[in-house]
Amino acid sequence: MTEMFSQNNKRDFWEHPWGYMESFFIGTGLLLTGFLIEMFIPSSEEFLISYPYNVVFLGGYIILLFVAYIWFSNVQLIRWLTKVPASISSIVLVTFMVMIMGVVPQIPSSNETITFLGLNHITTHWAFLFMLFLFLTCLGLVTVKRILQFSWSNFGFIVSHLGLFIALVAGILGSGDLQRLSLNVYEGRPSFVAYNDDNHEVELPFAVYLNDFIIEEYNPKLALVDNISGDIAQNNGKNLYLVEKDETYYFQNYEVYLKDYLSDAGKHGEKYFFVNEVGSPPAALVSVRNVDTDSIIEGWISSGSFRSPFEALKISEDYSLVMTIPEPKKFSSNINILTKEGERINTILEVNESFEYKGWDMYQLSYDEKMGKWSDLSVVELVRDPWLPVIYSGIFMMIIGAINMFWLGNKINKED
Amino acid sequence: MTWIDFPLYSGIIGIVWLLGLVFLFLSYKDVNKLKYALPILFLGWCVLIVFVGKLWMELDRPPMRTLGETRLWYATFLPFVGFVTFFRWRYKWFLAYSILLATVFLMINYLNPETYSKTLMPALQSPWFVPHVLVYLFSYAVLAASSIVAIKGIYDFYQESFSLETMKLADNLVYIGFAFLTLGLLFGAIWAKEAWGHYWTWDPKEIWAFLTWMGYLTYIHYRHFHSHKTKQSLTILALAFVVLLVCWFGVNYLPVAQTSVHNYTQQ
Ligand code: HEM
Repeated sequence: MTEMFSQNNKRDFWEHPWGYMESFFIGTGLLLTGFLIEMFIPSSEEFLISYPYNVVFLGGYIILLFVAYIWFSNVQLIRWLTKVPASISSIVLVTFMVMIMGVVPQIPSSNETITFLGLNHITTHWAFLFMLFLFLTCLGLVTVKRILQFSWSNFGFIVSHLGLFIALVAGILGSGDLQRLSLNVYEGRPSFVAYNDDNHEVELPFAVYLNDFIIEEYNPKLALVDNISGDIAQNNGKNLYLVEKDETYYFQNYEVYLKDYLSDAGKHGEKYFFVNEVGSPPAALVSVRNVDTDSIIEGWISSGSFRSPFEALKISEDYSLVMTIPEPKKFSSNINILTKEGERINTILEVNESFEYKGWDMYQLSYDEKMGKWSDLSVVELVRDPWLPVIYSGIFMMIIGAINMFWLGNKINKED
Repeated sequence: MTWIDFPLYSGIIGIVWLLGLVFLFLSYKDVNKLKYALPILFLGWCVLIVFVGKLWMELDRPPMRTLGETRLWYATFLPFVGFVTFFRWRYKWFLAYSILLATVFLMINYLNPETYSKTLMPALQSPWFVPHVLVYLFSYAVLAASSIVAIKGIYDFYQESFSLETMKLADNLVYIGFAFLTLGLLFGAIWAKEAWGHYWTWDPKEIWAFLTWMGYLTYIHYRHFHSHKTKQSLTILALAFVVLLVCWFGVNYLPVAQTSVHNYTQQ
């Protein structure tokens, strides 16, 4: 590949050893090649290879790195790859590609230039893959170099560089084996047909039965809305007050006192009463005093639900008080896992608390948001990631490396 | 509610820390003052720990649910990091910096009492939440300090008063800050994996945190292997700071912000 760039006019340009000029020349050349390929053969698919090809690829790559270093380190290209200029140029060029990702939204775009250059799908862009490959090869070779010259003073270097190499390579190659399914489970019936990312049905080797879906909610919030625009007229809609019995809040020149609060209410005539029915929304009795005129308005407000309409209280020509829909505090599913062998395992899935069964990690994903706390649907995500231990060991090594780095600081300054 | 006692406790802590800081500044002139400064600052920290402990017992859950509680944790951890860094690196100014930052957090809590009962979405209610955010916050603070040192260095260059001490300070700060930034990224990845099954989703905030990481990574390697090219190193450090600022404040203004999960603006 280096021959491609061999026509240069400066005599000392390609003199050995290659420095920053050469490194950026090669790096940018590779980057432009990536862009050219992208323009003519756009890569729409994700770069995925699955078992056993990824394992073969990984083994081959690692052997190649060792062979390259041990037997070919006198080749200029290999020597260059183990040196800092190559690494820094690859770091900078990967940074450049990621920076595009950080500015251009990674979603289908109507801008022709963006689509033509493929700037809205960087993670699958040829140029990004080339840069990443250069980056990993630099990282891999330098790690091989230090491993072969092992000494304890290299410990920090090896754990951070090897850890990063392992985590990245396993992350990239492992994504081909990663399975991510979503399973809808309804209260009272077993479900075993899940859907993958492409919406294809996948039959699970076990069934999931939802015993109960439970939501804990925060109290609703109180908001002042503009009668004409319907917008929230206070704090830009942030930091609203929670509705709580006996609290007093101030909005502009109104003093709002919460006389009563019912978490589950039904309307009867003009009033709300506590009821225990599916779809009964929260309601509150508020008393609003205009501080300037001392006039008082009293009435009920309710956030409404899929079954009953919301209720606002008009407090002046300009404003009304409303109650927001309660936000979930915590939601969880009490499920049974039913196996083909007739086993039954009971567990509770919760956001941030997954459950592992036979290599599947189960996550509480979502529910029927329109039904809110009366949802009898719970969406469970199932993830199978056989490379997880490998990636975690890389991450763990990097953590050790980071702690080591904090503790020992840098060498340059200690030497002098 | 123990929060009722907060003005009292934070008042005491504030006064004790102020006294400790005065001794710490005096110790620049007279080293003996240091033996007063450290115990006094430590005492203030103990008062804070007592408060957190009482709050924890009263609430019957770790007080990490609301934003006010989270800030309370920042205020608790920052002096700890300051002390550890001090005992390791002997940076007095850094101890002062962490104590001051902790005081700012206590002050924000004092001024915003209503935020205590604010809701926190379920996804954030994780044991990883605090370490992830805390470590990031700390690393940004240290890296920002390093880049400010770099800008001072560049200025000194033009004034022809540049000293190698500036470089040493910048290097040490970058190493400390970078170590924590790495931890922040990794904790984030582990948390995301445990909670949602993804390590990394290239969310805008993640992208910019990654870019910040790469910026300082460039500095570390360049600096390590070209220790005489100080001016170039300082320029890299100053540029890394621009990326850091975008990550910290700017992401929300970029066209990509619409796709971020790190936007916790409620409603
Ligand atoms: C986890 C992130 C990283 C950290 C903390 C780190 C840190 C360091 C440090 C402290 C050194 C000097 C070590 C010594 O001389 O003992 C070094 C050397 C080096 N690093 Fe990194 N680095 C990281 C990632 C990378 C990456 C991603 C690359 C390449 C793409 C890379 C390439 C190199 C090279 C080529 C050397 C010179 C090694 C030699 O000449 O023997 N590093 N790194």
